[in-house]
Amino acid sequence: MIYQAAIDENFPVAEPTQVARLRSGDPAALADAVGLYQHRLYRYFLRLVRDAASADDLFQQTWLHVVRQIHRYDAARSFDTWLFAIAHNAAMDLLRKRPGESLDDREFAIPSRAPDALSAVLAGERAAILAAAMAALPALYREALTLRFEEGMKLEEIAEVTHAPLSTVKSRVQRGLEAMRQKLTRRDLL
Amino acid sequence: MSDHESVQQLLALSAAGLLDAGEERLVREHARQCAACAAELEEFAALTAGLSALPLPQPPAYLLAQTSALLAAEADRRQAAFLAGAVAVFALVFVLLIGQTLRTLAGDSAAVVWLGWASITSVLGAASALVLASRRRLERSIV
Repeated sequence: MIYQAAIDENFPVAEPTQVARLRSGDPAALADAVGLYQHRLYRYFLRLVRDAASADDLFQQTWLHVVRQIHRYDAARSFDTWLFAIAHNAAMDLLRKRPGESLDDREFAIPSRAPDALSAVLAGERAAILAAAMAALPALYREALTLRFEEGMKLEEIAEVTHAPLSTVKSRVQRGLEAMRQKLTRRDLL
Repeated sequence: MSDHESVQQLLALSAAGLLDAGEERLVREHARQCAACAAELEEFAALTAGLSALPLPQPPAYLLAQTSALLAAEADRRQAAFLAGAVAVFALVFVLLIGQTLRTLAGDSAAVVWLGWASITSVLGAASALVLASRRRLERSIV
């Protein structure tokens, strides 16, 4: 994964033996997996749904689904991708029910002032500005960017998680980056 | 579409590492001669580097404990359902075997009385088990 090294020192993935224990219903393996993926999964939900309470609910819902469906997991495939695909489905279900939420607005524009961007600028927090600019994108673009740059997933892995064709994933990454660049350069932040 | 325009559309994907070798070469060669595209490519590179380095949000401390409790309850429920199924199968086989033995030893009427009695106690037992299970679930959800 190209960006893996740049993402986080702790970039844990489940080992095949752990996955095998998980499949056998070993409670200790499940507890290990929840601990192992808690930061990555929580970040994914937070980027997508943008509020902590919903991220908490989705996190728990996802693990419950994992317990109930682990027998369907094909050990020949990546556990990460399987887990994030479950997370994707849960998040999309929630976002579709949210009034005013834009999943894939083809004509989207980033608001001229993201909610907490001004305070972030004043504080000089570049990361907060970037996160705020990303949060202003439609959900599917936010998802593509977080999976690519924060999770370090390959195009094929993102396509599997989001159930979208490769060309669509590429287009989401491209449009998301272009919208962010446009917004940030206009404010001299790049 | 000119070379410049077609390369411009590839700049974001180049910074994202999503171009094939041929497209990547095209972008690099063009950027060497075009200052505008080179600058734009730099900006995209800065943006993608920034996104890759965003701090990892910390999940709340209670989330892991809450999730573990939820999963333990689920495991408990599944185990209870499995045990209940196994006990029900065992009880059915037991009742039928006793019924068959009574029929052989004491005739049809004894077997019918046994089956009737066993059915009534089984229904009552199952109802009690359901009430207890739902009460336990309620108590767990309150805790």
